[in-house]
Amino acid sequence: MIFPYTLLMHNSDPSVAAAVSDPVICVEGLAKEYRVFDKPEGLAASVRALFHRTSRVVEAVKGVNLTVGRGEFVALLGPNGAGKTTLLKLLSGIVTPSRGTARVLGHVPWERADDFRRRFALVMGQRNQLWWDLPAAESFRLHQEIYRLEPARFERTRDELVDMLGVRRLILQPVRELSLGERMKLELVAALLHEPEVLFLDEPTIGLDVVAQHTIHDFLRGVQSRRQMTVVLTTHYMKDVAALCERVVVITRGDILYDGSLAEIVDRFTTHKIVTLELDEVPDKATIERFGFPCECRGPQVIMRIDRNRIAEVLPEILGSAGIRDVSVEDVPLEEIVAELFRSDAREAAASAGAAS
Amino acid sequence: MNRYFAIFLTFARACLVRDMTFRANFILECVTSLGWMSMNLAFYLLVFTFTPEIGKGTGWSKEPFFAFVATGMIINAIVQAFFMPSAEELTEMVRTGGLDAVLVQPLDAQFLLSMHRVDFSALANGLVGVGLLAWAVPRMDYAPPPVAWLLYPLLIICGVAILYGFVIMLAAATILMGRNQSLYDFWFYITNFSRYPAEIYSGPWGSPLRMLCTFVIPILLVVNVPARVIAQPFTGQTWIGVAAAVIAAVAALVVSRIVFQRALAAYRSASS
Repeated sequence: MIFPYTLLMHNSDPSVAAAVSDPVICVEGLAKEYRVFDKPEGLAASVRALFHRTSRVVEAVKGVNLTVGRGEFVALLGPNGAGKTTLLKLLSGIVTPSRGTARVLGHVPWERADDFRRRFALVMGQRNQLWWDLPAAESFRLHQEIYRLEPARFERTRDELVDMLGVRRLILQPVRELSLGERMKLELVAALLHEPEVLFLDEPTIGLDVVAQHTIHDFLRGVQSRRQMTVVLTTHYMKDVAALCERVVVITRGDILYDGSLAEIVDRFTTHKIVTLELDEVPDKATIERFGFPCECRGPQVIMRIDRNRIAEVLPEILGSAGIRDVSVEDVPLEEIVAELFRSDAREAAASAGAAS
Repeated sequence: MNRYFAIFLTFARACLVRDMTFRANFILECVTSLGWMSMNLAFYLLVFTFTPEIGKGTGWSKEPFFAFVATGMIINAIVQAFFMPSAEELTEMVRTGGLDAVLVQPLDAQFLLSMHRVDFSALANGLVGVGLLAWAVPRMDYAPPPVAWLLYPLLIICGVAILYGFVIMLAAATILMGRNQSLYDFWFYITNFSRYPAEIYSGPWGSPLRMLCTFVIPILLVVNVPARVIAQPFTGQTWIGVAAAVIAAVAALVVSRIVFQRALAAYRSASS
């Protein structure tokens, strides 16, 4: 499937418009370059590299422009190495940009002002921020000291968060003894104890089972809507995006490829719908050919990709056929759309690289 | 300041709780550490069966020398207990990206990175040092005047500050380089120089080394100055030493702070 659209889109989605009225994150021309030293293979080359190293500049983020409004839940999507996490690190002040400007809650993040750091939180799914050998309750206490939380408020917030996630019995158990899902829930509690206005989530559901993912989705949705918190999430799971985010920002090769609503990404980048028929019996070749569309058969189930514009026209005809027990019409799965979006961009990159050489 | 102290106490409490969790490990660390110190002391006792003094006319006879050793033990115990465990962990934090979590917290990163771990077993060495000092000083031919007792804790703090400055600069190098195991080894070698009286560095090789370790890398001021104040009569040189130790301590703290801030600004973070 090749998209018949120009990939980089600016859109007029209401959530994007809201960002302009009460912006919490404003990014202009933000770029981060790293100098990477090549490590040659073999002993002789390694010895030579001791005296003469070759290096190249990698552009992790290339002049990104982005505005996020208060209370938005934004997903940053992109293939591995696209620059999503680097962008989060720039927005949370962990790394300093090579050029460009950014303001988060009115602060320049990499100046690392305490007033700024008190107002946001960062949770990284692949890293543990709680004390490993101690119960999470100890880490929460430290958090209380670091963020200067008034005891009554701290206890109220902690109790509320642990009850929402159903982890009260876990907070007195050493973190190292907990499962990945349990640990992630406690990481989220720790991150939200100081009631941040902005939450950066870097792959919070990575490696979690479906139940834990659901619990975390419900929790994040509840907390975000109640506190009107701005959340920026990076993930590879489209279930996270579908469950939580109205706005999607697709990043590839350090640049924004698409910025708009989730509904629009489906509208713009799919030309087909998926029609699934349940037949009375396994269809023969003639029956399949009668439908007139490319079909995939799984026993008595027939799956067809039909042009969106023709659905209204062809569906009554199909339903008129004998032996149909059930029918469903669905959009192309989000995973597939996004994967194709990434692939299209990679093809474009390869084509332009080929043209340049 | 109160907040930082409260946070430090929380760190210390957590480390103590963790140490108690792994009791056998804690006890073993104390025993190993005390065993190593006992062997050192036995070695010095052995040396004094062959000679009444380390270096002729230096004043470092048996009891003053043990006061010197005790001073070194106290300073090293403080550094080993409060700063080194955190600094040693930093290499891993930089390599794995654990430093990211530190940088987003509304707290001075240098404080957090240099004081979040406390090694209580190292404090056992400090207690032995205090005991050794209490044993050695009354047995010396010289009784330290009150001013010596006033200056001694101040100079201990200066010695700790100089070593802390080195630790922070090593930490900064770790942040810039990603990994610097060799520099930590270098730390071990260089602090070895501070364990002996400055007088032993004499002659064509010793004198330049003494100059280097006094004025360039002021490691010789760390133990020598407080030990001399408590174990040797005051002379003009003593006061020069005191001034040099104070200046070196302030310089170490200021320079290390600047270097560390620059390193943090250049932090690359590890890939996730």
